[in-house]
Amino acid sequence: MATTSLSVARPGIVLSARARRFWRQGGIELALVTLVLLAAWATISVTIPRPDRYLPSPLSVVLSSGDLLWKGILPNYVGQTLWRLVLGSLIGLALGIPFGILVGLNRHVSETFYPVLNFFQSISGIALLPILMIWWGTTEKTVFGVIVYTCFFPIAFTVLTGVRSTPLIYMNALRTLGASRLRIVRDVLVPGAMPSIATGARLSIGYAWRAAIAGEMLAGRRGLGWMIFSAQQVDQTAQVILGMVLIGFLWILLDRYVLRPIESDTIQRWGLVQR
Amino acid sequence: MKPKLVVRDLTHHYPDEYTGEDVHALERLSLDVDEGELAAVVGPSGCGKTTLLNILAGLLPYRQGVVQVDGVAVKGPGPDRGVVFQEHAILPWRTVARNIGHGLEIQGVPRQERERKVGEFIELVGLTGFEDRYPHELSGGMKQRVALGRTLCANPVIMLMDEPFAAVDAQTRITLQEELNRIAIATRKTILFVTHNVDEAAFLGDRCFIFTRRPGTLKATAAITIPRERRIWKDLVSDPAFTRPRDEILELVRAEVRVGDD
Repeated sequence: MATTSLSVARPGIVLSARARRFWRQGGIELALVTLVLLAAWATISVTIPRPDRYLPSPLSVVLSSGDLLWKGILPNYVGQTLWRLVLGSLIGLALGIPFGILVGLNRHVSETFYPVLNFFQSISGIALLPILMIWWGTTEKTVFGVIVYTCFFPIAFTVLTGVRSTPLIYMNALRTLGASRLRIVRDVLVPGAMPSIATGARLSIGYAWRAAIAGEMLAGRRGLGWMIFSAQQVDQTAQVILGMVLIGFLWILLDRYVLRPIESDTIQRWGLVQR
Repeated sequence: MKPKLVVRDLTHHYPDEYTGEDVHALERLSLDVDEGELAAVVGPSGCGKTTLLNILAGLLPYRQGVVQVDGVAVKGPGPDRGVVFQEHAILPWRTVARNIGHGLEIQGVPRQERERKVGEFIELVGLTGFEDRYPHELSGGMKQRVALGRTLCANPVIMLMDEPFAAVDAQTRITLQEELNRIAIATRKTILFVTHNVDEAAFLGDRCFIFTRRPGTLKATAAITIPRERRIWKDLVSDPAFTRPRDEILELVRAEVRVGDD
């Protein structure tokens, strides 16, 4: 009978393997922290005067989202922000990756550009917005400008560093096989920079996400940033908070399901870090 | 017969990276390597062995002396001199097969012929079944097999080996030495093998060039006349034809180390 008892399913909730892994890997703690935060939020909300103005309860935020969903505004705004992020980041990466590689090829050139890139990397996109608005006004160009700018410098910087740190022995080995300079760039430096490209891209898109929201607030039409900003002007605090929560959630989804897998796959496949 | 590699009065000095002091790495060094010969260069650490190898590979420019391969002066790196490096210099993002075929790819050999040759050399270096693995999935010894296969597959006039088995464990090292001996028989490749390990030099070399301590120059040459087919570790350990020259070389190298310790 001992053998049959093994095959009998235990009573209770049956969880899929995926769900079980999620709960084991800190899912319970995450759920607890979320509940505590929501409870704290709700408590503060009921104890202060005029919560609708200062801190609407979680429930009224959910209700306001239902309202916006119903009108089709929310999907439209989320789509708009994501579209700006994707297009702006792609342009930023498409410019920054080749730039980082080209500058990284030569030691003297890279030593010259290193402080320059470092300088611009420190000037956040938000600090660039005023000058862009002077040039281009509150246009789509300004929003994209700030996203591309924000994306460009971290990726160029990371790729430059990646190219520079490719082991010299790989290049020497290829030279002794008779490889041309172009061949060394193609077969050693570019693939050698791949992990940096992946890491740098994730970092850059993270910055670009903040830049997209900031850009929309000051210069955009539609989008989550614009929603928060315009809701504030008409005292729709629930919508302001809804926008903030969405920004956080969307980023977590994007990072968890798109950016992180790309990064770890690249690094792992290249055999530079082993799981 | 004309030697494949000729080195005449090669002198190399360079400023020390930190102190700026003039380092005399090689002083009027002369040696020849004949076709099909495996010449082992052995000497104490810092005797200029690696400097010599880098000059031969064309990675280090030299100003004084003559270095010729097949009668042509060495000027920069070239596919006529294949190098197997000390560290793992194979590319981590290429599979075993693509690493081994890299030289042919660079030479522009058509794909079909390349694949045929790569298959041949994968078998020669004992990596059958590992064609599609990435280097990080391989042991240290197997990585050096890939490096060896890559160099051989490009078919250089001379193969230069810079302490290629220094980083693997003792057991693997012995196996790799026997494998290299087998490959030397199969390919009849001209090889210059740099090592600080006297056993290794005596086991592999047709001739051993013993270097003095820095500035490195030729102290003695020892011929090992044991036929390659008989070079198996378990037979040689007690064979006077191996142990006698090995002990002589060891004495010569140790004398240099002692001087260096003064």
